[in-house]
Amino acid sequence: MTWSAYLPVWPLEISPALWLALTLVVAVLVGEVLVRQLRLPRIVGYIGIGVLLGPGGLGLIPQLPATEWRLVIDLALGILLFELGSKVNLRWLKANPWIAGTSLLETVATFVVVFLLLTWFEVAAVTAAVVAAIAIATSPAIVVRTVTESRAQGQVTDRLLLMTALNCIYAVIFHKLAVAAMHGQTGVSFVHTALQPIYLLGGSALLAWLFGITFERIHHYLGHHEETFSFVLFGMIAFATIMASTLKLSPILVLLVAGLVTRYQRKRTRTFPPHFGSAGAVLVVLMFIANGLAGDLNGLRYSLLLVLLLIAVRTIAKLLSVLALAHYSGIGVRQAMALGLALVPMSSVALLLTLDTAATFPDFGSGLGLVLMSCIVILELAGPIVVQKALQIAGETPDKKT
Amino acid sequence: MSLMPFAPSRPLSIGVELELQLLSCNDYNLSSSAPDMLRRVEKRAHPGEIKPEMTRSMIEINTSVKQEYSGLVEELHALRDVVCDAGRFLNVAVAGGGTHPFQHWSEQKIFDAPRFHHLSELYGYLAKQFTIFGQHVHIGCPGPDEALHLMHMLSRYVPHFIALSASSPFVQGHDTGFASARLNSVFSFPLSGRAPFVLCWDDFERFFGKMTGTGVVESMKDFYWDIRPKPEFGTIEVRVCDTPLTVEIAASIACYIQAMSRYIMVEQRVAPEEDDYLVYTFNRFQACRFGLEGVFIDPRTHEQRSIREDITDMLGRIADHARELHAVEAMERIRDILIAGNGTSWLRQTYAREHNLADVMQLQAELWMGK
Repeated sequence: MTWSAYLPVWPLEISPALWLALTLVVAVLVGEVLVRQLRLPRIVGYIGIGVLLGPGGLGLIPQLPATEWRLVIDLALGILLFELGSKVNLRWLKANPWIAGTSLLETVATFVVVFLLLTWFEVAAVTAAVVAAIAIATSPAIVVRTVTESRAQGQVTDRLLLMTALNCIYAVIFHKLAVAAMHGQTGVSFVHTALQPIYLLGGSALLAWLFGITFERIHHYLGHHEETFSFVLFGMIAFATIMASTLKLSPILVLLVAGLVTRYQRKRTRTFPPHFGSAGAVLVVLMFIANGLAGDLNGLRYSLLLVLLLIAVRTIAKLLSVLALAHYSGIGVRQAMALGLALVPMSSVALLLTLDTAATFPDFGSGLGLVLMSCIVILELAGPIVVQKALQIAGETPDKKT
Repeated sequence: MSLMPFAPSRPLSIGVELELQLLSCNDYNLSSSAPDMLRRVEKRAHPGEIKPEMTRSMIEINTSVKQEYSGLVEELHALRDVVCDAGRFLNVAVAGGGTHPFQHWSEQKIFDAPRFHHLSELYGYLAKQFTIFGQHVHIGCPGPDEALHLMHMLSRYVPHFIALSASSPFVQGHDTGFASARLNSVFSFPLSGRAPFVLCWDDFERFFGKMTGTGVVESMKDFYWDIRPKPEFGTIEVRVCDTPLTVEIAASIACYIQAMSRYIMVEQRVAPEEDDYLVYTFNRFQACRFGLEGVFIDPRTHEQRSIREDITDMLGRIADHARELHAVEAMERIRDILIAGNGTSWLRQTYAREHNLADVMQLQAELWMGK
């Protein structure tokens, strides 16, 4: 018997998972420091640590296999999207159509100004349309997480959740159409150009509807045992996410619409623990770290001016749209400012759409995709702070005293 | 500051104030949406008044001066509809009931107005605990001495009003066992309870002068009495009722008080005695704790019976007065409560069926909003 049979060989062979585990610990600690010392949202710490230690930053963490990360992101995002959908009351749009109007205006305005900016920078029209479509989406992950963490409630919070859910749906639809147009340009026959988005949108809607119905059945059967119910739900979300990817549908659309369908069909409201329990919460933290690790700031070198302008026009478009219809939709100027700003964060949804586009069109990934990635990193880091401050300005966070 | 002179008012005219709960449609917890709601209702023409209350999850509707049940119920419907429309527009549910079953007092936010901030500083957490919802009924009086007479005579029947309107069994997530747990929050205020036994307005002014002289009170608003005179309106104000679960019950209870007042002024004509108050706190406790089943001790005959029996007896005695006041329908509703139970029975039955206080709150809001 030799030493090496029972002692580790030097230098140690460390699996990437160890670094990941360590990152989780450090990120959570940094998040805690941010909350206690600076009163900033925890997720800024998670994302920040990811960016700092990841390949885009100090490079301390080796590149992890993309597929494994992708599963974490997909699952955690699935949880957050379903959570968002099930918090949103679509019937409200019937009672107050001005909110639907605000959402449409904000979506169209964002798309148009980003599109115009890019064509002004002499970007091809289809590519500009893809980027503009991705820019529509507000980050559901950041919004849901920050609202949960700040325990906010009120008009701005309710509208923020509703408008985020809506603009994510619009973003995915616009994106699929724009990508279809991109395929059309590369000489794919018209039938495939047209059928692909139809299959994707129709299939996703169908899967979401089936999910919603099954969910209600199980909920009805299990009744009030909420902990058991969380476990089942967790499995269902994982199943639906993986199923959607397998069928080449949009997991984003499926989970978000499934949440909306369940909430719409339910006669009684249900509250679930945040992220459906602690397993969900761990995944969410991992997702934010992963988002940070995937962060790529090379776009700043590519065109700093374009990145900054893109963020600026997008912010202005969302802010002015909300302000324009604030009076009719029943909120004050201060609330409208808060709502407009809170719509600014970009994160997982935009990231996944960008990565998907880059996987199909490598040119996109090495060009405008980089610009978009930089926007996402900046708005991911600033987003939680902006949402938190906006909710404070709107007076919807709990009183500090007592 | 001296007391305002007692304004003239039409005898037996009525007015109702109702404090309502504002709820989030997501979880049916209280929601601090009074500023949004008030901004919304400002734009709509409506009778009466819609006002803020101590914390931002409350809103108050006041009717104008009414003579009889039909006009009162019509105006309450109009006010309810204005508030509920604003609520639907803002994703806010509105409900009656004396307490919210599972809100946490510490999460409530004081409404941004000088008076409420002042009260919050003075009373501390009591102000936030005061997120409770009551019905106040004004009865017009021909003059100040008559007002004091009516106030003391009605005091005997305070348990009736508590038991009929009781709709606050749940507090902070639990069944308290009380029919009206709301009143327990009122009793913690230093100037709650009953008015002093003073029978003429000059004496009352002297009492008020002495109280302001001590610096304890500044105005009549600082007295949280069960029944108090309201000289600027020329009324007495009965303040012991929980906000019932529907506007119809609110109007019926107001008319029950109105008919009883007519009986006291026109037919009974007996002078109040200080000893009437010997059983006052006992009777009131029985009503809060046990509702219609509570024991009622007659202060003069010392006879014991249930509050339900005493109300049945009273309904017989005031039937003619109710007819005169066109309040027959209101009396029918009071009879229905005696048979089917008050708001607290409804809430307990609903909870037994639903097993979930948020669901109870949702159904309570649907009942109030009249869907």
